[in-house]
Amino acid sequence: MTARGCNRTVLVVEDDRDVREAIAEVLADSRYVALHAANGAEALQRLRAAPVRPCVILLDVMMPTMDGWQFRAEQQRDPSVKDIPVVVLSAHSDASEAAAKMEAAGYLTKPVALETLLGVVERFCAPDKE
Amino acid sequence: MIDSTALLAPFGDAQLAIGGIRHYAIFLLDPHGTVVSWNEGAQAIKGYSASEIVGQSSARFYTREDVLAGRHAQLLARAAQEGRVEDEGWRVRKDGSRFWADVVITAIRGADGALRGFVKITRDLTERKRGEEALRQGEERMRLMIDSVQEYAIFMLDPTGRVASWNSGAERLKGYTAPEIVGQSFSRFYPEPEVRAGKPERELEIAEREGRFQEEGWRVRKDGSRFWASVVLSAVRDELGTLVGFTKVTRDMSDRKLAEEAMLERTRQQGAVAQLGVFAVEQPAVDAVIHRAIDTVRDTLGTERVQVLELSDDGNSLTLRGGCGVDPAGVGRLAVAVDRGSQLLSPEPDPQGFPLAGLLDEQAFPSGITVVIRASARPLGVYGMLCAHTAVRRAFNGDDVNFLRSVANVIAAAIERRRMEEQVRVAERRMQEERVRTAQVQEALRERDEFISVAAHELRTPLTALQLKLQGLERGLRAAAPEKSAGSKVGGRLEGALRQTKRLSHLIERLLDVSRIAAGRLELAPERFDLAELVRQVAEDFREPAAETGTELRLHGAQRMEGCWDRLRMEQVLVNLLSNAVKYGAGRPVSVRLESAGERIRISVVDEGIGIAPEDLGRIFTRFERAAPVRNYAGLGLGLYISRYIVDAHGGRIEVSSRPGQGSTFVIDLPLVAALVTLPGQGPRQARA
Repeated sequence: MTARGCNRTVLVVEDDRDVREAIAEVLADSRYVALHAANGAEALQRLRAAPVRPCVILLDVMMPTMDGWQFRAEQQRDPSVKDIPVVVLSAHSDASEAAAKMEAAGYLTKPVALETLLGVVERFCAPDKE
Repeated sequence: MIDSTALLAPFGDAQLAIGGIRHYAIFLLDPHGTVVSWNEGAQAIKGYSASEIVGQSSARFYTREDVLAGRHAQLLARAAQEGRVEDEGWRVRKDGSRFWADVVITAIRGADGALRGFVKITRDLTERKRGEEALRQGEERMRLMIDSVQEYAIFMLDPTGRVASWNSGAERLKGYTAPEIVGQSFSRFYPEPEVRAGKPERELEIAEREGRFQEEGWRVRKDGSRFWASVVLSAVRDELGTLVGFTKVTRDMSDRKLAEEAMLERTRQQGAVAQLGVFAVEQPAVDAVIHRAIDTVRDTLGTERVQVLELSDDGNSLTLRGGCGVDPAGVGRLAVAVDRGSQLLSPEPDPQGFPLAGLLDEQAFPSGITVVIRASARPLGVYGMLCAHTAVRRAFNGDDVNFLRSVANVIAAAIERRRMEEQVRVAERRMQEERVRTAQVQEALRERDEFISVAAHELRTPLTALQLKLQGLERGLRAAAPEKSAGSKVGGRLEGALRQTKRLSHLIERLLDVSRIAAGRLELAPERFDLAELVRQVAEDFREPAAETGTELRLHGAQRMEGCWDRLRMEQVLVNLLSNAVKYGAGRPVSVRLESAGERIRISVVDEGIGIAPEDLGRIFTRFERAAPVRNYAGLGLGLYISRYIVDAHGGRIEVSSRPGQGSTFVIDLPLVAALVTLPGQGPRQARA
């Protein structure tokens, strides 16, 4: 299920700046390229403007302006980005439920352990030394 | 001896006629009374033939008694002297039988005036005599009968209404003797106002016109007292239809009249009580009922003074709650009377029906009834009393007392109802307040639970960033110098920081459990596994922290315990119990025992630590409770609350026994297969103790 040509790029859609930066940092430590978006609208913009398609989108659910649900709906309407896998990232225990409804590829529950995060992202990105 | 021919000469031809007369005995006597002639009538009446009697003395026609009395000679002598004598009396026939005779004896004198003899004419009046005798006896019997009648006054009035006869019943009933009343007008038997109104005369007129007048009414005795009389006045007329007077039959109906009046009075009293009762049902105000009761008593008993007096709680004074005809100064005296200790609260009223008669004001109100108004809620069981007093001396009867008691009962019922309504109102007000308070408490708890939920979720976000950064750092450090990182100063501090994030993470998870329990959303996912194995794993995980406090962990009992439970939740319970045992076990051994009996299993966690005070045992399973002093031990005290919920949700029980200073024993009892129990959300109320 690895998206080819994604060049280890991950889009992090998260309204909390600290969380967004922490994820970006640890992903960077593992030689991933993290794109940031503070809400669904920004994420759509990023997706459409990005020179490289991300391998996976880590999507928070509760966000201002445009939440995860709306983003996911927009994404699925846009053929150019609709097949990029989404992993739901939520502080709520209903993360698995939300992921199923959004037809997401997986979910992570906050606080997420580093190993868990890297393990999931790795599933969608081409190995580093390929 | 007289020659009969000469004697009969003056009669001439009449002799023939006399001889043939049959209904009269006509015969002649000589001056000595010897029979000298005889006719057919004499033979028919007396039974002798002429030949038998002529020449005989006429004395034989008399009864023996009359002869002995010389009556025969007397009559002849009077006839001789007076010329004629008439007599009625018994005479005797030839056969000895008697007959009632009308006798006329006429002397016959010669021209010289010398007595020549007598003509005797005798008529048989026996039949008439018999009729007269029967009539006389009948009248006598009637008179005796009327005289002897005691129950009825039977007397006659003349046509003008004067008393003409009098019997013993009349004397007994009216009090007059015959000499006192005969000749007096019967109007004196009537009450004065009726006499003035002309009633007696009117009654006579009616009786005269219609033959009869009948009525019931008051009559007056000689002594002025009244009685209720039943009177029948009948006109008496002779055979020509002339009014000769009236008969009057009078009977004393006073007893019946009094009984009727008592019945009427009782009916009136009962009606008045019933009306008062209806009023009391419709009218909730006690004062209104009391005032209506006072009016009812006054109007029904006709008592000038009616009072409702309320007794003070100590039973020593009375307060006027309502009354009519009341002198306020009198109430003060009443209060004093009670103060002196009358028999006010004697449980049984005076058998005469005049309890509390001491409350009477002898001079102004000489007669009266006083009854107690009962009230169960009062200290003495008495609300007060109801008094009905009269300004004139008067007798009351049992009906009057019963009436007043009934009125007092209506007042008592009104007071009792008012009291109960008041209680209901108070209870409703309290319930309403309680509802509001409960709603407020529930709202506060709901807000708290919501806050816990929001806070827990909010805490997860910074924790996520913190944990990722620390884990990233640790990972970087290990990658840079794998062999040194574990023991280095930075590595040690980093490890400590990570332990704190893990602890934070646990606390947040527990808070979320609490909010799930509150919302009824903590759901179990049972699976089949070996609980003994899980116990061993958890115990293994506790080796290290137990060793830090010098605590020895001992496992006893079953090696294998297959069943169906929520593995993660059961692990959570075991971790909680072991963590508590190690934390509060004071370094002494902690043992875990596994037992299985039939379809149930039992896990006991026993420590020998500080124990739990008895007053705390009941609440350690509730939220935010922690028996141990806060400054000594950390933690939010949610563990046991959550553990209990989890065990309950499995259909099991968790119990604790403990003695301060000797340790605690927690026992979990579970069905082999979780009998999933849906527990309601526990947000609004305290978890069960």
